[in-house]
Amino acid sequence: MAEKKTVLVRIKRQLAPDQKPYWEEFELTWRPFMNVIILLRDIAERPVTREGKVTTPVAFDANCLEEVCGACAMRINGKARQACSALVDQLEQPIRLEPLTKFPVVRDLFVDRSRMFENLKRMKAWVPIDGTYHLGEGPRIAPEVQQRAYPLSRCITCGNCLEVCPQVNERSDFVGAAIINQVRLFNLHPTGAMHKRERLDAVMGPGGVHDCANAQNCVKACPKGIPLVESISEVNRDAIRQAIFGWLFG
Amino acid sequence: MTASGTSTSHREYFWRKLHSFTGIFPIGAFLAEHFWSNSYALVSVEKYNEVSRGLQTIPWRVPLEALLIWLPILFHGGYGVYLWWKGKSNVLDYPWMANWMYTLQRWTGLVAFVFIGWHVYTERFLTQGKSTYADVERALSDPLYFWLYIVGIVATSFHLGNGIWNFLCKWGIATSARAQRGAAWFGALVGVTFTAVGLAIVLGVRFDWKPFEFYTLPRQ
Repeated sequence: MAEKKTVLVRIKRQLAPDQKPYWEEFELTWRPFMNVIILLRDIAERPVTREGKVTTPVAFDANCLEEVCGACAMRINGKARQACSALVDQLEQPIRLEPLTKFPVVRDLFVDRSRMFENLKRMKAWVPIDGTYHLGEGPRIAPEVQQRAYPLSRCITCGNCLEVCPQVNERSDFVGAAIINQVRLFNLHPTGAMHKRERLDAVMGPGGVHDCANAQNCVKACPKGIPLVESISEVNRDAIRQAIFGWLFG
Repeated sequence: MTASGTSTSHREYFWRKLHSFTGIFPIGAFLAEHFWSNSYALVSVEKYNEVSRGLQTIPWRVPLEALLIWLPILFHGGYGVYLWWKGKSNVLDYPWMANWMYTLQRWTGLVAFVFIGWHVYTERFLTQGKSTYADVERALSDPLYFWLYIVGIVATSFHLGNGIWNFLCKWGIATSARAQRGAAWFGALVGVTFTAVGLAIVLGVRFDWKPFEFYTLPRQ
């Protein structure tokens, strides 16, 4: 009979935000089509380390399991990616799992990504339509604009682009590619364009588009294939135009 | 530079844009002029000294030097050190081409800043602004100085070439992936050209190589 195949995995664990991280190693039974989420669920079913020590299940964040929610972003073998689309058979063993480093750890692989939401608000990356009366229908969007906007709208706020960005770190408050891409998306929208000026004003503020230094890692790490570099460059162009001509001609 | 009367501070935005702009003008433009004038070393000693003397005796020399060379370089280099400190390279985790360029841009900037500081001190101030071919030749006969020049020229040329690519991307002049690829080739061309010309000058002086001397000689 064939030998039972196993999967070796090392996980960086941390019990609480203020506690020291430590590593634990697990050896699991291999299963066909196993991905990192299945692997973590198997550990939860039987939380025993490789040395036979009984431990706690590994905490992680996940929802959709099909790469559209963004929740399960983590560092897998040193690279930021989604756990749901990381197939065990394609990973070098022992598989190393670590939480994202650019966000505060809540527990184990579970991080708090709320700063992305705060930054979306700060950069006014939404269309404000709430009011005291019905505004009616918005303007129609030309198919050509729809086609340009759709890829930008696929952002799942997973945070991979922030994780891989050398400009996002504790010495800088750069909001990151995802947020600037949303600024572009809402400036492109005919209703959103009514607030383009305010949005560009925000994006020239602290942590804004000028903090990008063109390392272009974001576009490589994006699981949704969003043209992030192009988005940053377009926002840069609109911003510099507003900065120069706004100053010259009011 | 408050565009729409809000309280958002645009101070950092302004300094960033000024930093990126000064790298091209006047610093990049001056480097082009500097390599051009020094290329006379490849023509003849007399021609080199004549051109140097001409530049050294322009009117308003010190204010022009201060405004177009020293101040921009001090600002670009000083603010650049701050930017170098603010970024945290991760090229070992993510060894992608543009990420290498990002890391090299920071380190070549630092090398170039130190080299230029030393170069200005030895060739501009120690010679009282009256440097001649003989001064340069003496400096380059020292192997340490020779290699410092090689490193300095390669770092500075790379920094300018890659900086032009950065500038074109970051000012929204080259936005699409295709345009940015074109801009990268253009930047590479500038970098390689400056490296080649700079090294030719240093080697020309060091080994008394005068490839453009022919037309200074009398007709046979």
